[in-house]
Amino acid sequence: MQRIFQINGEEAECWLSHDGSEMVLNTPDGAIPCQLDPIGTPGGYVLRVRGRAQDVRLAVGPDATFVHLNGKTYAVRRVDPAERLAGNEGSAASDRLVAPMPGVVVSVNVKPGDQIEEGQPLLVIESMKLETSLIAPRGGVVAEIPFAEGDSFGLKATLALLAPEEE
Amino acid sequence: MTISKLLVANRGEIAARVLRTAKARGLATAVLRHTSEQEGPAHRIADEVVTIEGATPVVAYLDIPQIVEAAQRIGADAVHPGYGFLSENAAFVAALEKVGVTFVGPTSEVIDLMGDKIRARAFVEGRGFPVAPSAIEDDDPATFVERSRAVGYPLLIKPSAGGGGKGMRVVRDDSNLESEIETARREGERYFGDGRLFVECYIERPRHIEVQVMGDGQGNVVHFWERECSIQRRFQKIIEETPSPALTPEQRDEICETAAGIACAVNYRGAGTVEFIYAQDGSFYFLEMNTRLQVEHPVTEMVTGFDLVAEQLRIAAGEGLSAAQADIPQNGHSIELRICAEDATADFRPAIGDILLLDEPRGEAVRVDSGILGGGKVTTDFDPMLSKLIVHADDRAQAIARAREAVQNYVILGVTTNTGYLDAILAHPDFASGDVSTGFLAEQAETLTTPGKDVSDLLMAAAALSDERLVNDVMQIPEMHRKMGGWRN
Repeated sequence: MQRIFQINGEEAECWLSHDGSEMVLNTPDGAIPCQLDPIGTPGGYVLRVRGRAQDVRLAVGPDATFVHLNGKTYAVRRVDPAERLAGNEGSAASDRLVAPMPGVVVSVNVKPGDQIEEGQPLLVIESMKLETSLIAPRGGVVAEIPFAEGDSFGLKATLALLAPEEE
Repeated sequence: MTISKLLVANRGEIAARVLRTAKARGLATAVLRHTSEQEGPAHRIADEVVTIEGATPVVAYLDIPQIVEAAQRIGADAVHPGYGFLSENAAFVAALEKVGVTFVGPTSEVIDLMGDKIRARAFVEGRGFPVAPSAIEDDDPATFVERSRAVGYPLLIKPSAGGGGKGMRVVRDDSNLESEIETARREGERYFGDGRLFVECYIERPRHIEVQVMGDGQGNVVHFWERECSIQRRFQKIIEETPSPALTPEQRDEICETAAGIACAVNYRGAGTVEFIYAQDGSFYFLEMNTRLQVEHPVTEMVTGFDLVAEQLRIAAGEGLSAAQADIPQNGHSIELRICAEDATADFRPAIGDILLLDEPRGEAVRVDSGILGGGKVTTDFDPMLSKLIVHADDRAQAIARAREAVQNYVILGVTTNTGYLDAILAHPDFASGDVSTGFLAEQAETLTTPGKDVSDLLMAAAALSDERLVNDVMQIPEMHRKMGGWRN
């Protein structure tokens, strides 16, 4: 059974199997015998990998498994293989201005239908107490501005959509 | 004027912290809770929880008429504002005064004076205390840009009504001075409803050192020594300690006495903090005075042995200070780490999520002031700070070691936090030697966010083996083979 994980921004594929006596994690670096046993404390386990045991705390969230190991906490994100394939398609990146972080719209300078120049400020957002102007990545026509002044938006929300460039 | 019932007009860790002391002093206690807000530690400590309404939680916590009305309705005779929200709002103090409710803090006049950076600066300078070279827009708006240029580069633009790093901009080059002034003005208008600015010379590699003061409003002022707060990201502190590793005993006395002198000059009442910019050559300048309890007050409590909230409540009740200057020691060393829900590897982007598992460190001289509960949700409604981890030890090296051990044992699963980043700062040789400035985190950004030893095989194994569906699917395969008789060990 295959899984794709993302750790520290890097994706890694693995394949879990059972050889009849123990679990084996198959990675590009080879097959790793492993075992996970609860120890009674909340989220507490002993993780045995290649015969070496260590204490971990873990919690399974909706998109990631959080692991506390050796004094550090890691988020192991689960990547949906279907989503990974779709990620590079759809609208071209330069058509879409995506929120770099959650925040609030301070002002909107354009409306759908407006003709814009490359570098023109489209809207001003405020995140983490700092104002940032979002500028047009190319010239064209504004298709959509989904948020109005004062609206809050989340990480990776689409803040402006340009009409596709005509070929 | 005795106090018998205290309303804490705040939330999160500071509400819980204030409530603990108030209860220990035998007061009846109440705290606010916005309709959309989930239960926090403070709601479990307070005798009474008062629901407040508003379009957003922040709007509700800033709603003066609603909070004053709440205080009256529940029969509170005093309000503790915590920090942030209405803690430095002179109109709030005046509104409470009008209905005979005691504000635990300074007078509205002092809040007004110190809240206006320009007037505060002029006042401090006028009393002969050191301030940095500057240009104040109000002095003559028409020549502000010219006078800013004359201060020299690099310079720092600040909203005159500002605080907490909001709207501050460093300008290193004349070409963008005017555009940065306009941006700062807009930010000032939005955050503080006041677009007036001032500019001051930006001191390279400065340290931020502040002094805790306490006054009884009757002319008596004492200081509770300094705090070093140079470890900042985006102009906001994340590690504070006391004593400062930068000061000699003589410099320490000088800076602490200067702070007490400033507080004395305004006949200060309650707890306050005088902040200074401390240059590499040992000179220091008044930055601002915060007329409230600070986030980082626990390090002061650890080295002095005083409960600063208890002192605030004493003063508000007219009982005066519990100690004279000579009775306030500075024993050992204390460090505070601000645990924040943010991704230090992605420009400190605030993180959200559910707290799936929470296990706080415990131990000798380890204190956790927390605003979260296991099972709670972290949203972007409020500041990303979840809790504070404070340690104490005999000396700085031991305090660093203790802080590292404690932060490594602080388990918060379900939302990304900065615990690993804080540990990386504590482990940095320049932090250990005390050779830091307010630019330290930016200068060392790469070093501090470099992933450590690669443990991805362990993490993948843990994630795969805790994935119940995956494990079930895998276990069904050999079962199937066994049933078909084709599987042998």
